[in-house]
Amino acid sequence: MKVKVFRSPGRHGYAVEGSPFIPTKLACATSQYYGIAGSGTLLILEETESGIALVKSCEWSDGLFDVAWSETNENVLAAGGGDGSLQLWDSSSNHSAPLRVVREHTQEVYSVHWSQTRGENLLVSGSWDQTAKVWDPTLSKSLTTLKGHEGVIYSTVWSPHIPGCFASASGDGTLRVWDVKSAACRLAIPAHKSEILSCDWCKYDEHIVVTGAVDCSVCVWDLRNPRQPVCPPLVGHSYAIRRVKFSPFSRTVLASCSYDFTVRFWDYSRSQPLLETVEHHSEFVCGIDFSLHIPNQVLDCSWDETVKIYTPACLTAGTHTAGP
Amino acid sequence: MHRVKVIFGHLAPYPSEVGNRSVRSNPCGARAPAPAPDDVLIVHGRRTAIGKAKRGSFKDTTPDELLSAVMKAVVTDVGLSPDKLGDVCVGNVLQPGAGALVARIAHFLSDFPEAVPVYTVNRQCSSGLQALFNIAGAIKNGSINLGLACGVESMSLRDMGDPGNVSSRLVDYDKARACIVPMGITSENVAERFGISREKQDAFAVSSHQKADRAQRSGTFAREIVPVTTRVTDAEGTEHTVTVVKDEGVRASTTLAGLGKLRAAFKPDGSTTAGNSSQVSDGAAAVLLGRRSTVEALGLPVLGVLRASAVVGVPPDMMGIGPAYAIPAALEQAGLNVADIDIFEINEAFASQAVYCVEKLGIPMDRVNPNGGAIALGHPLGCTGARMVVTLLHELRRRGKRGYGVVSMCIGTGMGAAAVIEYPGP
Repeated sequence: MKVKVFRSPGRHGYAVEGSPFIPTKLACATSQYYGIAGSGTLLILEETESGIALVKSCEWSDGLFDVAWSETNENVLAAGGGDGSLQLWDSSSNHSAPLRVVREHTQEVYSVHWSQTRGENLLVSGSWDQTAKVWDPTLSKSLTTLKGHEGVIYSTVWSPHIPGCFASASGDGTLRVWDVKSAACRLAIPAHKSEILSCDWCKYDEHIVVTGAVDCSVCVWDLRNPRQPVCPPLVGHSYAIRRVKFSPFSRTVLASCSYDFTVRFWDYSRSQPLLETVEHHSEFVCGIDFSLHIPNQVLDCSWDETVKIYTPACLTAGTHTAGP
Repeated sequence: MHRVKVIFGHLAPYPSEVGNRSVRSNPCGARAPAPAPDDVLIVHGRRTAIGKAKRGSFKDTTPDELLSAVMKAVVTDVGLSPDKLGDVCVGNVLQPGAGALVARIAHFLSDFPEAVPVYTVNRQCSSGLQALFNIAGAIKNGSINLGLACGVESMSLRDMGDPGNVSSRLVDYDKARACIVPMGITSENVAERFGISREKQDAFAVSSHQKADRAQRSGTFAREIVPVTTRVTDAEGTEHTVTVVKDEGVRASTTLAGLGKLRAAFKPDGSTTAGNSSQVSDGAAAVLLGRRSTVEALGLPVLGVLRASAVVGVPPDMMGIGPAYAIPAALEQAGLNVADIDIFEINEAFASQAVYCVEKLGIPMDRVNPNGGAIALGHPLGCTGARMVVTLLHELRRRGKRGYGVVSMCIGTGMGAAAVIEYPGP
């Protein structure tokens, strides 16, 4: 397995996302001092023949915990920070300041996500203040604030199919599905008996959502039957699962990264769902994303101050290369 | 702090899911040297858990008992009759005469035959590694075929600080005078002269504890630690029998905020604190070495191949920079460079000097002390070198593929030692 590595001394990776426009571009939200104290840096990176090069480094006064590329402008990104702010950054400008900063959340912003459905261009943010906020793409002012979670929100992800619908994962042990138009929670699933740190939607089935939790398990849910997960919990991680992500290319393939320093790949349709364990980090692995352009290419980032690009062996074997 | 609390909440143990770990990584890039019949092989290594000095489970245990536990375990594990040993060398710092008597007593406590000789060596913090170098040297020059290299220290029962009998003329010689500079001050000197900030030192210390905690919780040390049953007297004066299987210095609760509150230990405006320095500890470790031809003839397993060993001198008042000089010397001998090495075990005498050496050599931080170092595990002086070799080889074996490791440490009075060891693969 060939791995390209970017090192960010003194900056610990929290989230990584590939550009939806440019196959070689990626962004990584990082924090100083493991995100416990100090400042943050948004790294705009470019994959090259030989490795990963820095395009731009955006400095922020508090730790950065998540990043999302704009779905309409190839140069724009949003990041969420420890000071409760969201910032809009322009990766093409020479300015060191963000385009726009909004401070409405009263605690750490742990997730930002840009909507992907046609005809809609919205941002959603999730915060430790237990609220999720929906924003217009210029971040002028929040359009709506969604309350209901009884714990901190770690993850907010737009449905790729249903307009105005996003899912959230929280420390209160629930996965919730929200309708922005009516500003209401449509569904609350007590998905784990522990904090849930991450969720993601299947790209091929509008009813399927995956959750990853502190109980070390990954669960796949069919929102039409929320009483039980669609298959037995995917187990193998030995510490909390920090982020889960569905493959954009294979219906039942997903990736999880964990505090146990590993990244694991799963196919939940199989009786032996664990496809591969990648152990190439020496600290908590907090960020993971699949490339949208290069089938089965994976990006991840860790507290060990590295961002890595690779194609896991299990996904190159041929069984998962084609679309559904 | 709120963030620390939230993240520690994520690390709550969920015991049902532990295990089932598999390890994959890149194949080792560096070329494998051809096996030679006179290669010095490492057959096996074990260590005791590391106890907290004066407060821990080994506080009343004499070093001969600790040493005997590992000596016996290593030969028993591989089914070697101890009369096959050509020599036994024990690294020790604090016992009188580096523990010459302690070593021979441990030898007999282990039921080793009287015909097998034993001696001790003291090169301060590298004594355990120096013992390995000495045994390897004896194998290489043909005087023995198999030998046991050990290290032991009880910092509970012996104090540092007696310099011995030294000439008053030392004040006339800068370098000689620098030899009696307290170790903590040498750390301050490194931090100050090379700009290693307090934050960097504390962050390194936190990561040492986190890595050690993770290793401990996932059972990584289980194969290397020899359980020791001993007696310990509690605060009320009651004696208990305890079996010690776990390193006692690891604090999962260590945080940057917590360490930040500690006062400098060696000078008022300094940056070296009790939290970012190594711990005072008790422990022992032993490593069985042999010539390849003998190891193969006896059908013994092969855990490692010693590829290079180097000791170099550095300024005594900045003794902590030793690894930054010893590691390149050892790598050059082995014909390797930093990028070829999978794991660096660099002794964390002080975070200041460890961080300096790592940065100076451009070592990726994710290759340094993957299971924590002396800041979390402790630093039983004479034992440390042998302990690091044991931890390194067990970790390379756990990763399950051919690879290279380096063991290095700084040495009081201004030196550094380093070894390059190859794990030949399963």
